[in-house]
Amino acid sequence: MKINPRIAIPLGMAFLVAACQASAPAATSDGAAPGESSAPESEPASTEDSGEQVTLTFLAGFTGGDRAAYEGLIEEFNASHPNIQVEMEIQPWDVIGQELPAAMATGGGPDIATPSFAEGSIFAYAESGSILPLDDAYGSGEGLVERGAIPEAALNAFTYQDQLYAVPANFATLLLYHNLDLLEEAGLDGPPESMDELRDYAVQLTESDDAGNVTQHGLVLADHATIPMWPILIWAEGGSIVNEDGCSGLGSPETIEAVQTWADLVINENISPVGLTGGEADNLFAAGQAAMEMNGPWATGVYTPAGINYDVAPIPEGVAGPVTLATTVPMVLNANTEHPDAAYEFFAWWTSQEAQGALSLGSGFPPARTDMADNAELAEHDWVPKFAAAAADARVYLAGVEQFTEADTEIFVPAIQRITRGESAEDVLTQASEELDALLGC
Amino acid sequence: MTRAFKVHPAYLFLLPSATALLVFTVWPIAQALWISLHDWSFLSDARPFIGLGNYVELLGDDRFWNAMRVTALYTMGAVPLQIGLALAVALALNERLHGLALFRAAFFFPVISSLAIMAIVWSFLLDPNVGVIAGWMTDLGMRRIDFLGDVTLALPAIIVVGIWKNLGFSMVILLAGLQGVPREHYEAASIDGAGRWQRFRHITIPGLRHTLLFVVVISVIASLQVFDQIFVMTRGGPLFATDTLVTYLYYQGFSLFRMGYASAIATILFLLILAVSAGQLRLFRYRDVD
Repeated sequence: MKINPRIAIPLGMAFLVAACQASAPAATSDGAAPGESSAPESEPASTEDSGEQVTLTFLAGFTGGDRAAYEGLIEEFNASHPNIQVEMEIQPWDVIGQELPAAMATGGGPDIATPSFAEGSIFAYAESGSILPLDDAYGSGEGLVERGAIPEAALNAFTYQDQLYAVPANFATLLLYHNLDLLEEAGLDGPPESMDELRDYAVQLTESDDAGNVTQHGLVLADHATIPMWPILIWAEGGSIVNEDGCSGLGSPETIEAVQTWADLVINENISPVGLTGGEADNLFAAGQAAMEMNGPWATGVYTPAGINYDVAPIPEGVAGPVTLATTVPMVLNANTEHPDAAYEFFAWWTSQEAQGALSLGSGFPPARTDMADNAELAEHDWVPKFAAAAADARVYLAGVEQFTEADTEIFVPAIQRITRGESAEDVLTQASEELDALLGC
Repeated sequence: MTRAFKVHPAYLFLLPSATALLVFTVWPIAQALWISLHDWSFLSDARPFIGLGNYVELLGDDRFWNAMRVTALYTMGAVPLQIGLALAVALALNERLHGLALFRAAFFFPVISSLAIMAIVWSFLLDPNVGVIAGWMTDLGMRRIDFLGDVTLALPAIIVVGIWKNLGFSMVILLAGLQGVPREHYEAASIDGAGRWQRFRHITIPGLRHTLLFVVVISVIASLQVFDQIFVMTRGGPLFATDTLVTYLYYQGFSLFRMGYASAIATILFLLILAVSAGQLRLFRYRDVD
């Protein structure tokens, strides 16, 4: 069969063009990730001034039970700001982690984003200039994020080379969840008040059957894929992961002793299974198979429906005084945005007393402000005042460490996993300390 | 007079597939090779050419060699067991049994189910505290085992799940191959006094040679690329005991955004698969005396 080239060649070219067009929707024209709406490029930068409506796109990872509280906040903002409309798209954290860098690198992406639930995730974006410094968004007065009211732990966590790169999307502290029924059964009166007492409680509340299977764990300690728990135990005894000089504190005697003491309880007394994820630790507490767990306010949304009779208490004090972990989801501004002014206004409103009050009531999280202790509505909430009270003593894990992911995934987490599997804390942490110092350039 | 330009019609028929292959396979491979020669970060505008720098770094990277070891162990554990079991099941299901269709469907079911969801189900089954298997062990008065949390047991547990998932695929292919072996050969062998083992050794296996080649090559490639069930069940842990080349590649690319380094790992994996597949094809061809 012979085909006339006058037909064959245009036909082939037409097919190629069609194929290319068909594949185009995989990424939007400005490089935004699939499913994301991107800032309209043709819109002039001065729309805020001219009274025209500005649309801000916001990619967030609030997929949990508190999702409705965040969506409610966006609705409230849009209703009260007719000139600025925020379109929030919620995606799982993994998806954001994969798509956001590519979208930003190709000149697109949402105006505002929460790159990860981990504070340290923003440093890679800051280093590359993918997100804007937000020092100008902070200050005092209308239209600014009230710097003096934001928890110090959040400000420290968002500072990269002396500049602030994020605004807290939320703020939480960890408290000691304890199963009241299990404590009563064991004849324990109220939650532990010191680290020594916490250790005693953990041992007393651990039970085994005849075959040696643990039927109830005293204190569940997750070591990976979790909100960090082990750092609290280290800080409470005066140890550190990264010290004030920005170098490793893993090799300090206090850190080694704290980790060895708790690891011994895990190995010898079975107070916790080894190698738990945060989800597995939560499952044990929710199933009534764990008596105590350090966790954040989000867990109330799991344990209350599970029918557990529980309460929360401050983390017991060790030799270093009261301390707990703070966690705050960073909200950043894309360097590609055409509406920084509108974003600043959104940030200021989001961190206002009005918005934080609504978010706290809807989610059970403490407000991302330290000046709302006298808020009557919040004071009556079952959980908010308790988590808010711990804010003053709360620290962020690996705050300000630019190599956050490597320090966590390759050094700290494997070190804890090796020690809870029987290796010596002194040997492992001395080696880990050298690796961390090398990573930090110390 | 101009000479007519002749286009063989075969090329037109090839055009759609060739275009898709070029755009979605050849071009990305070439891009990955090019990226692997750069210090290429997702987030940075500066992506300097560093030649073989990433490959040199890989040579001294303990986690890369650990990932190579884990990937090799997974492949050596999963492929022979999976194909051996698949062959046994295919032979059994090649007989005239009651409820044959039901058995075939049951063995094939894992293939059509979502691996991510099945991995979550298996994680729950194997959970030492709330899992069904732990419950049975407790009922029997045994000490519960944390399969996925134990450094020595995690990889075997992942291998078992991989075999469970892929057994049906190999079985169906082998079953089709078995049905292509002429019945007369078995009858003739029986008349000549051949036993079951001799019939299997001298008729079934030679008759399945090409089918086995296909199943082995496909299974080895899939095993070298194992990712889903590990990502869901252990994320490469505990202590990197299930960290394969692809999970490590994912970590470098999507947690550290080091696309250049991740591409170098991908290139090594590509070459590894190419070499192993070529070796298998050569081996089977060498033994092909037909």
